Amino acid sequence: MTQVIVAAALVVLAVGLSRAGGLGLERELLVTAVRAALQLAAVGAFVTLVFEHGWLASVFVAVMLATATIAAGRRLAGIGDRYARAGAAIAVGVAVGTVPLFAAGAFDTDPRELIPIVGILTGGAMAATAVTGRRLAEAIGDDLAAVETRLALGVNVRTALHPLVRSAAVTGLIPALDQTRNVGLVTLPGTFVGLILGGASPAEAARVQLTVLLALLAVEAVSALVIVRLVSAALTQPGERVVAPAGPGI
Amino acid sequence: MGAPRISLDTLTVARAGRVLLRDVTLDVGAGDSVALVGPSGSGKSSLLRCLVRLDEPAGGAVRLDGRDIRELDPCELRRRVGLVTQAPVMLPGSVRDNLAYGLDDPPPAALGAALERAGLSPDFTERAARELSGGESARVAVARALVREPAALLLDEPTAALDREAAGDIEELIRQLAAGGLAIVMVTHDEPLAARVAERAVRLGAGSVQAAGRAAEVLRP
Repeated sequence: MTQVIVAAALVVLAVGLSRAGGLGLERELLVTAVRAALQLAAVGAFVTLVFEHGWLASVFVAVMLATATIAAGRRLAGIGDRYARAGAAIAVGVAVGTVPLFAAGAFDTDPRELIPIVGILTGGAMAATAVTGRRLAEAIGDDLAAVETRLALGVNVRTALHPLVRSAAVTGLIPALDQTRNVGLVTLPGTFVGLILGGASPAEAARVQLTVLLALLAVEAVSALVIVRLVSAALTQPGERVVAPAGPGI
Repeated sequence: MGAPRISLDTLTVARAGRVLLRDVTLDVGAGDSVALVGPSGSGKSSLLRCLVRLDEPAGGAVRLDGRDIRELDPCELRRRVGLVTQAPVMLPGSVRDNLAYGLDDPPPAALGAALERAGLSPDFTERAARELSGGESARVAVARALVREPAALLLDEPTAALDREAAGDIEELIRQLAAGGLAIVMVTHDEPLAARVAERAVRLGAGSVQAAGRAAEVLRP
């Protein structure tokens, strides 16, 4: 409880500084803090329930996947069946990461381990899907003249889109690559911090964190590769033709 | 004119569901140069795109050497029918990268020969493609099509983006290419240009062919 009281006092301090500095952020700071408190209290209560009733874990995972699908799908404006495409990219990525980890016994399927691991991997898959897919759709809209120039020179759609696909996948994977490359040097990631605070040894925390980071790399790479295929397919028409994403601006 | 290389058979061109041109019928043979003239928005560019299947016609058919182009592999079709757009896009890299794009290790001599046919020195292969002038880009775009040894060349407003001197050079180039045996279809709103360059002309307007025949007659002021 002391932690929450001190944290709340820090929010009050931030609000005071905002007023003194004339930033006008007082209301937003307070609303955000209260909202975070309510959300985390609700999640805490729900996760307690999940830990007590194992079958709720599958409901929790389904809700995570659905939420990630909606969030990533919204970023794919102008792409037909965008939610189905985002959902497929996320599901395939998450499956590629989770199935080996749990099948090999690296983590226990107990909700206490299953929920956080699937949650972290789903979040990574969501980000990679949204950024990569959106970047590719935007690039095709912006660069359609260059794509059609390549097509007019007699290459197929896959070859004509390759530079755009590659650039979109790189953009989508930069956060995961940088996070993994700089782990421990710039920030201590959440899993590591959580395990240490929960009483695990630093060596144990580092081992779990490494597992999560490496799995994330694979998950995000797979989601990015799936979504570039699915966005390309959505914008490809018979006769080796490419169309721009529908609608004004994306 | 010998056997037609490109035949348009009652072609109907639409864009975004709106019919722009109806029942266009035209034969273009080897060494033939045909200008399609008409106001902006009359569907000229869409018609050219239909000839290489970058757009699909709303009706009718296009044949290349007697075969419906829908039966051909689109990539093969596009190597045999070169499209040079208005203000052509230069791909990243050198002129060589542009000429050789999508080809399997073409011999350097073929690249140099294509540049020479387009009126450029073979030394041009090393130049950065995106630093070329408008006139040079237009010629590289023609050379890029010629490397693929096309039967026909489609030109969309070939001189619209160029200054007078560069435009005159491109006009001369088009005449030479037709004389060399290519079938040429050129789209332009510039009737004097069409009269200088093309043997035959088709006047498009109000959604259909208004007149067709020898350029000197169709384009008479």
